[in-house]
Amino acid sequence: MISCTEFIWTYNELFKFLHEQYGKQAVIDFWIGISDDFLGNLNALVAEKGTQGMYEYWNHTLEEEGADYTMTVEEDHFAIDMHRCPSVGLLNRGPSSKYADYCEHCQWLYPRIIEPYGFEARCDIIDADQGACRLSVRRKSESAN
Amino acid sequence: MAQREKVNVHKDFHGAMSYGIQHVYERYGEEAMTAFLRQVAHEVYRPLTEKLRKEGLKALEEHWRHIFTIEEGDFDLSYEGDKLVLNVRQCPAIHHMKTHGYAIADKYCEHTRLVNEGICHAAGYECSVEYDQENGRCVQKFWKKN
Repeated sequence: MISCTEFIWTYNELFKFLHEQYGKQAVIDFWIGISDDFLGNLNALVAEKGTQGMYEYWNHTLEEEGADYTMTVEEDHFAIDMHRCPSVGLLNRGPSSKYADYCEHCQWLYPRIIEPYGFEARCDIIDADQGACRLSVRRKSESAN
Repeated sequence: MAQREKVNVHKDFHGAMSYGIQHVYERYGEEAMTAFLRQVAHEVYRPLTEKLRKEGLKALEEHWRHIFTIEEGDFDLSYEGDKLVLNVRQCPAIHHMKTHGYAIADKYCEHTRLVNEGICHAAGYECSVEYDQENGRCVQKFWKKN
């Protein structure tokens, strides 16, 4: 059994495998598949509770993963300032090389779940080597809808 | 493995792992799934392979005891002569996925066989696994090649 504690390394290999065998689009297709077909729990929480649902989802996952982050939760605004991403930390310690576009997966996974519920969402990679990034979500203004 | 000092156990990752295995199997076929999991064995478990080569079955015994303990699996480890036997009565991955409604890949348990073979063969060892994916049970055996 591949342990869940070894998952990050395994998924990193999957990204590399798909890219090397089938090209970058195959990796993107996989990320879109995860977003559309696997992250139903995040989708349901955002649909029901908006930014509070985002808080519940990421508070649970980031605490279990041992992340170093700051979370901002307001009714119309949600942000995660990731100071040290736990996944990047693991990958930087080996045993295999980190997929060059590893951090990009968050940009494909989360905005496409959040935005249909009246929000604008973006993930900015600040430092891919250190695992620093920012997920920023704001409710769209009426004029933007 | 590298994260021994501090272990964060996020069991939903089993569901994501299963999704990944199914994705490769459905879209690219069983040969691709096999190649991917062989790559995982080679790249992710390289330190375990080296430890097995140097220290023998004790390395695998320690690895499985650590993994199945932190994952809260129902298991035991024993020896049948020169063979290390890992008897998993309740697989923590299958149990978690079933409990939380995650789809389990058609060939999910094959990853155990493929990854174990990748680790063992590179270190001069053999292995076998008999699994019951539906009920989340398996018996894995490991022994040195003659």
